[in-house]
Amino acid sequence: MTSKTLITDNKVKNASFSKAIAAVVWKDLAAEFRSRELFSAMLVFSLLVILIFNFALELDIKTRQSVTAGVLWVTFAFAGTLGLNRSMAVEKDRGCLDGLLLAPVDRAAIYFGKAISNLVFMLIVEAIVLPVYSFLYAINLFQPGLLLVILLGSIGYVSVGTLLASMAVQTRTRDVLLPILLFPVVIPVLISAVKASGGYLTGGDFTTEILPWINVLLVYDLIFTAIAFMTFDYVVEE
Amino acid sequence: MQTKPTALKILDIVSVLLLAAATYLALFYAPEEAVMGQVQRVFYFHIGTAWVGLLGFLLAAIMGIVYLVTHDQKWDIVEMAAVEISLVFFLITIMLGSIWARPVWNTWWTWDPRLTTAAITELIYIAYFMLRAGIEDPDRRARFGAVYTLIGGVSAPITFMVIRLVRSIHPVIIAGNDPSSQGTFAMTGGMQVAFFFGLFAFTVIFIDLFWNRIRLGNLAAKVEQLKLNITN
Amino acid sequence: MFFLDTPPDTSSYMILGYAVFFIVTAIYLISFFVRSRNLKQDLSMLESMKPESKVMESKTPVNKVTASSTTKVNKAKAKQPAKTKTTKAKAPASKTKKKK
Repeated sequence: MTSKTLITDNKVKNASFSKAIAAVVWKDLAAEFRSRELFSAMLVFSLLVILIFNFALELDIKTRQSVTAGVLWVTFAFAGTLGLNRSMAVEKDRGCLDGLLLAPVDRAAIYFGKAISNLVFMLIVEAIVLPVYSFLYAINLFQPGLLLVILLGSIGYVSVGTLLASMAVQTRTRDVLLPILLFPVVIPVLISAVKASGGYLTGGDFTTEILPWINVLLVYDLIFTAIAFMTFDYVVEE
Repeated sequence: MQTKPTALKILDIVSVLLLAAATYLALFYAPEEAVMGQVQRVFYFHIGTAWVGLLGFLLAAIMGIVYLVTHDQKWDIVEMAAVEISLVFFLITIMLGSIWARPVWNTWWTWDPRLTTAAITELIYIAYFMLRAGIEDPDRRARFGAVYTLIGGVSAPITFMVIRLVRSIHPVIIAGNDPSSQGTFAMTGGMQVAFFFGLFAFTVIFIDLFWNRIRLGNLAAKVEQLKLNITN
Repeated sequence: MFFLDTPPDTSSYMILGYAVFFIVTAIYLISFFVRSRNLKQDLSMLESMKPESKVMESKTPVNKVTASSTTKVNKAKAKQPAKTKTTKAKAPASKTKKKK
């Protein structure tokens, strides 16, 4: 085989890999755009959680500063669980997963496709929650640093969450099991995201109070995305 | 398979003797600590059980990878044995840590990195068993268990480092003492003997329990296989 | 401070700690014995069931009465030709299993 053929072979493989990912993402987004059931559930749930926190925590102006980061991330974590569960349950119930597995695509492409669509859903929900929270509590949440932290944290959450949701949906206990599996493992993300978000909101010093946490988020995202797409095969094989 | 190998029977007896010796050293031979009093003796077993828990934790993560690579069920049995032993011993570690904290820092719980990570690891183990309990197919159960021990095995050390980072950036004062110092005391000769012998004894105890648990796991796998054969 | 000369008496906590250790360890060891005994009972019961079903299969392939079979006698008679084939196919399979 000449080197030229090998190069084109790889190009073709890469092309079909990214095409497969794009196909999965597009399928999920299109389906969700038509029905909007997942999205509305996550959104309503998040707004209710914020409302409950208002009554549960007595968020006067002083405490708001220190507590906002935590409240936001608890909301995202719970809404995220909802989204992950529904996203994988739909695949299983409609038999889409089996169809996807029969297709001649790399399993990792399916993983990335699902993870990206889950991430998109989570980001859209967060994009709506942030202005609502800002409005209700008169805190400006639209700082670029904070948005970066939310992105990194969501990536970490969704990368592990997609893998674990694929497992949970195949057990007898299904939905109930995902938070139990996910939360202990995703604690570094939650801690780092809350600390970094809090740092931005209280105007803390960047290098000492925010940068270490962003580093943790980056490392976590890299490590767990790698583990997830390498082990996804074992989780969905029949 | 049914009768216990002689080596294991001997190991059982040796483990019991070593445990007795370690108890004697910790309770009587080691001198009393000047600041905390007798409760400090709990430390010898606290570290010993933490060590066993840690061994189990590491083995479980490694066995997860080995199972995924080999697809040989025996590694799944080994992995489950490691997780179970680690679960029990981390539980004891946490309880002893709490008992030690009460008279020394006047609190039942300190959010220090080691105890907190042990508690989170316990939650991971419980999640592991709940995951396995929800799956009928032995092959799928083994695969999922292996993936989860891998994820938990990587996540727990990261959690430990993150919590320690929290402490170093924002040192928290609890009951007038900084818990990250873990009530340090200078170990005199007698204490060192008790400490190191304790570690040795607990390592042997771990091996003994591990071997026994693997045999139990083999038996369980055999029974399950027979049940599946008959119902088919 | 009163405690400069003699250390405080924290021996009750020490006793509590060691009690916790030995009690939890004992419970764990007992669980070993209980599980082991239960499994051995299950094993002997299952192994006594195995030769029974094997004997039935090799003797009379027509009147197939295994643990899993729940079909009524009429249905069984109607399905005889198909069943004879399956039992014959199963019998050598279970024999090779036993050899292992």
